[in-house]
Amino acid sequence: MKKSFTQIILHVFLLSGLVIVVLPMLYMLSTSLKPNGALYEYPPKFLPALDEVTIENYVYILGQGKFYINFLNSVFVAVASVLLTAVIATALAYVIARFKFPGKNILFGFIVLTMIVPGMTLIIPQYELAVKLKAINSLPGLIPFYVAWTISYSTFMIKGFIENIPRELDEAIYIDGGSVFDVFRHVIIPLAKPGIASVSIFNFLTAWEEFAWANTVISDNVKRTLPIAISGFFGQHQFTQWGYVFALSVFSLVPILIVFICCQKFFVEGLTSGSVKG
Amino acid sequence: MKLTNKNKMQIFILLLPGLLTFAIFTIYPIIKLFVMSFFEWDFGSIFNQKFIGLENYADVLSDKYFRMAFVNTLLYTVVTVPGQMVIGLGIALLLNKVIKFKVGYRVLYYLPVITSWVVASLIFRYVFNTEGLLNYFLMNILHLTSENVRWLDTRAGGLCVAMLLGIWKGIGWNMVVFLAALQTVPSELYEAAAIDGAGAVKKFFHITLPSIKGTILFALVMLTIGGFNVFTSIKMITGGGPAHQTDMILTWMYYKAFSTGEFGYAAALSFITTLVLAVLAVIQFRLMSNKDN
Amino acid sequence: MKATKKLLAILLTAVTCVATVAGCGKSPVESVSDQNDQETAAIEEVEIDFWHHYSAQSAENETLMNILIPRFEEENPGIKVNAVSHEWADLHQKILISAQSDTLPDVARLDSAWIPEFQASGMLVALDEEMEDFEAVSGGLLESAMSTAALEGHFYGLALNTNTKILFYNVEAFEEAGLSAPKTMDEFVEACKTLAGKNADGQQVWGYNEPALAGWNLCPFIWSMGGSITNEEQTQASGYINSPETVKAIETLKELYDLDAITGWHSGDIPMTDGFGTGRYMMLLEGPWKTAEMEGAYPDFKYATAEMPAGEGGSASVLGGEDISMFNSADKDAAWKFMKFMTSPFAQEEMAKCGQIPVNKEALESDTVKGAAFAPFLDAITTAKSRPTVACWSEMDSELSVAVTSVMNGEKTAQEAMDELAVLYDELLSE
Repeated sequence: MKKSFTQIILHVFLLSGLVIVVLPMLYMLSTSLKPNGALYEYPPKFLPALDEVTIENYVYILGQGKFYINFLNSVFVAVASVLLTAVIATALAYVIARFKFPGKNILFGFIVLTMIVPGMTLIIPQYELAVKLKAINSLPGLIPFYVAWTISYSTFMIKGFIENIPRELDEAIYIDGGSVFDVFRHVIIPLAKPGIASVSIFNFLTAWEEFAWANTVISDNVKRTLPIAISGFFGQHQFTQWGYVFALSVFSLVPILIVFICCQKFFVEGLTSGSVKG
Repeated sequence: MKLTNKNKMQIFILLLPGLLTFAIFTIYPIIKLFVMSFFEWDFGSIFNQKFIGLENYADVLSDKYFRMAFVNTLLYTVVTVPGQMVIGLGIALLLNKVIKFKVGYRVLYYLPVITSWVVASLIFRYVFNTEGLLNYFLMNILHLTSENVRWLDTRAGGLCVAMLLGIWKGIGWNMVVFLAALQTVPSELYEAAAIDGAGAVKKFFHITLPSIKGTILFALVMLTIGGFNVFTSIKMITGGGPAHQTDMILTWMYYKAFSTGEFGYAAALSFITTLVLAVLAVIQFRLMSNKDN
Repeated sequence: MKATKKLLAILLTAVTCVATVAGCGKSPVESVSDQNDQETAAIEEVEIDFWHHYSAQSAENETLMNILIPRFEEENPGIKVNAVSHEWADLHQKILISAQSDTLPDVARLDSAWIPEFQASGMLVALDEEMEDFEAVSGGLLESAMSTAALEGHFYGLALNTNTKILFYNVEAFEEAGLSAPKTMDEFVEACKTLAGKNADGQQVWGYNEPALAGWNLCPFIWSMGGSITNEEQTQASGYINSPETVKAIETLKELYDLDAITGWHSGDIPMTDGFGTGRYMMLLEGPWKTAEMEGAYPDFKYATAEMPAGEGGSASVLGGEDISMFNSADKDAAWKFMKFMTSPFAQEEMAKCGQIPVNKEALESDTVKGAAFAPFLDAITTAKSRPTVACWSEMDSELSVAVTSVMNGEKTAQEAMDELAVLYDELLSE
C-alpha cells in the first residue's frame, strides 16, 4: 500500500516536470497548424480552434517554398560527415588503444585538448582555410570541417570501447598469420560497432543542427542547410511568418526523432560510457 | 609482440587520415589563429597586415563590450550549469525509483536535447515575445504583472530567457547521464545504511553523491565548456541587443570578426577564451579530486 | 588478404574524399573566368552571380526569378544568372567577407549608402571608364538617382530603384480620435500621445512604430527638426550630431518612448507590418514597398499616407534606393549586359508592379508607373536627403544605434550620448 502511494507521488512529480519540458514543443506544433493570419490573435491561444487547423504552412514549405531542397542538403552533409568521421576516428582509436608509437601521448593529449576548446574559437582561421581550399559557398565543403569538429570526441569515445575488447581476440588473429588490418576488420569493427553507432548518432545530431559555420560560408539559397533556411525566414520584411518557421522546424525534427527512437539503446550507451567510468 | 614491417605500414595507413585531418583542419588553424592575434588584420588591411605585438590583446582586455560579454558568459555558465545538473539529477533520482513508463519519461525528457538550437531558440523567442503567450498568461490569467514584461528587450530579460533555454535544453542530457550513474551504485550500500537507520537524506549525501562523484565531475566539465560555447541562442533570441548588452564571448567574437572585420582582435579574443577555459577545467578537476581526499 | 585490400581501398578513398571535397567547391567567379579563357569555343555558357536583398519570399523576388531572369537568359543565350537572396544586413557582411576571400559575386544590388565604403576598399568597377556605352545608358536614368553612385568624378554603379519614406496612418483610428494627418512635428507628437493607450481588449497601443534606431530611422526626425549628422563637407560631426536641434530630436523620441507612445526597435516588439495591420501601431514611416506588403498581408486594412511631418528643418525624409554595381572580379561583358537589362524600361516596369520606384525615365512615364500610386513618394523624394556619403558610414551607423539605444534605456541623456558620439565621429571622419 505504502509502495504504490510512493509510486503515485513519483509520477505526479515526473509528470508535472514533463509538462514544462514538453509544452514549448507542443506550442511549436500547434502554431505550425494555425493559419498565418491567426498569429497575432487576441487572446493568444495555446491550441488552434478545431476549424482553424490547417496544413497550409506545410503545403507552402514543401511546395512553393521548395524547402525539401534544404532538407536533402542537410541529409547529404550529415550522412557524409558521419560516415567519414566513423571511419577515420575508429582507425585512429584502434591504433591509439592497441599500439605504441612515437608521439602517441602527444596525439592523445591533443585530442583531449581539442575536446575542451570551444569549436567556434577556430572559426576565423578555419574560414581563411576554407577560402584557400575553395570550400566557401559549397555544400560538400562543409563536410571536412564537420569531420574535424567531431573527430576528437569520437576518437576518445571509441577508444574507450576498443579498450574493453579482450586482447586475446587480437592475438588469435595474429597467431593465424593475420595482419593489423585483419584484426581491425574481424575483431575491432564488429565488436566496437555499438560504440561507433552511438558516437555516430551524436555526430549526426551535431552536423544536422550546425548553424554558425554553415551560416558563415554558405550564400546560395539552394545550398543552405535546414538550420540556415529556418533562420532565413527570420527578420525578413517587417513581419515574421511564424507559421512557416515552425512548420519547417517540425519538419526538421522528423529525421532526428526517427534516429533517436530507433537507436535509443545506443544513445544511452554512448552518453554514459564516457561518464560513469570517469 | 614484434611488429612486422607490413604491420607497421598498416598502422601508419590507419593513422594517416586522422593525422591529416588534424593537421589541416585543426593544427593549422590553431597556429594561424595565434599568428593572426599579433597582427592588425581587418577589412582595411587585406593585403598588408602589420605586426602589432600584443596590441590586439590589450584592445580586447580594455574593451568594455568584451568585459560585458565575459560577465554575461560567466553568469550564464554559473546559472545554467548547476541549474540543469540539479534538476537533471532530481529527475534521475525520481526516475530511478519509478517502476512504470520509465522509457516513456526518458524519451520525452530527452526531446529538448535533440531539438536543434535554432529551433529551440525560435520557440523561446516566440513564447517570450512581449505580446507572446507567456506574458498573456502572467498578466491576464495569473495577474502577476499589470504590464507585459519586456523579456527580450533588456539585458536582464534577455539573459534570463537565454538561461532558461539553456537549462530547459540541458535537463534531458543530465537526466540520462545521472540515471546511468545511479544504476551503478551497489544496492548493498543502501541496504547497509538502512540497517544503520539512515534516512533518505542521509543516504543521498553519504552514499549516492560520493558514488556518482566521477559523473558529476564529468558533467561539470562538459557543461562548463558548453556554457562558454553559447552562441546560437543569443544570436537568434536577442541578437546581442539592446546595444550589445546581451552579447556572449562568442557572439561578440563573431560580430567583431564578421561584421566589423577586425579579425586580429577576434583572434586575440579567441585565444583568451581558450586560455580561460583550460584554466577553468584544470581548477574543476583539482577541486573535485581534493574533496576526494 | 582480399579483405585487407578492400579496406585499404576504402580508407584511401576516404582520404582522397577529404582532399577532393575540400578542393571541389570551386567558386563561381572562378568558373566564369575559366570559361572566358575558352571563349573561342563560341557558345560556352557564362554564369554570373547576382546578389541582392529582395526578400526570399517577396513579390520582388518572384518577379526577379520568374519573369526577369528567364527573359534575360532568353535574350542573351549563353549567359546564366545565378541570383542569391540575402538579408539586408547579411548582404553587407557577406560582401565584405567575400572581398577578403576573393569570392565576390559579379553583380550586386547595393544599398546606395554602402557605395562609398565599397568603393574605398577598391572592389567596385568604375563603369564610366570601362564601358563604352555608359553615357547612353546612364542618360536614360534619373540624374538624382545616378548621383548616389558617383564618387570622385566616377560612377560605381547604375541606379536601380529609388525610394524614401512617408507617413502611413491608420484611417479609422484617426477619425475616431478626431485627428487629421499630422503636418508638423508638434502635431505628430500630439497625435502619438493621443493615439497611444489601451484598446478594447486592454492591449497597449502605440502612436508610432520605428523598427530600429539606425540612421535610416532617425535621420528624418533629426533633419526635419533642423539637426544634422555632419557638416556639409562631411568632415566634421562636432557641432552637428550634438547640436541643440539634433539633441532635441532624440529627446523628443525619448519622451514619446517614456510615455509608451512609440516603440518598435526591441526584439520582443510586434513586427511593424503586423502591428500596423492589427491596429496596434497607428503610424509608420515607410517606403513604397509597404503598399504591396499591406495588400498581401492585410488587404482589408484602411490606411492613408501623408508626407513626413515638418519641423524647423522643413519636411525632410531620408533618401533610399539601390544601385546595381559590378565587382572587379566580374565577367564584365555579361555583367554589364545584365545591369543594362535590370535598368531597362521592361525590367523597371515589372519591378514597379511590386513597389520598386523606377529610375528609368522611360519607365517613369509608363502607364504602369503612373497607375502605381507612387506620386506621394515621388514628391517626397524632391525634399529627401541622403545619409552621409562617407566610407565609414556603416560604422557610424551602428555607433548611432548604440548611442541612441543607451538614451532610450535611460543610461545617458541625449546630450551626453551625442557629445560622446561626436568625438567618435570626428575620429572616424578624419581617418
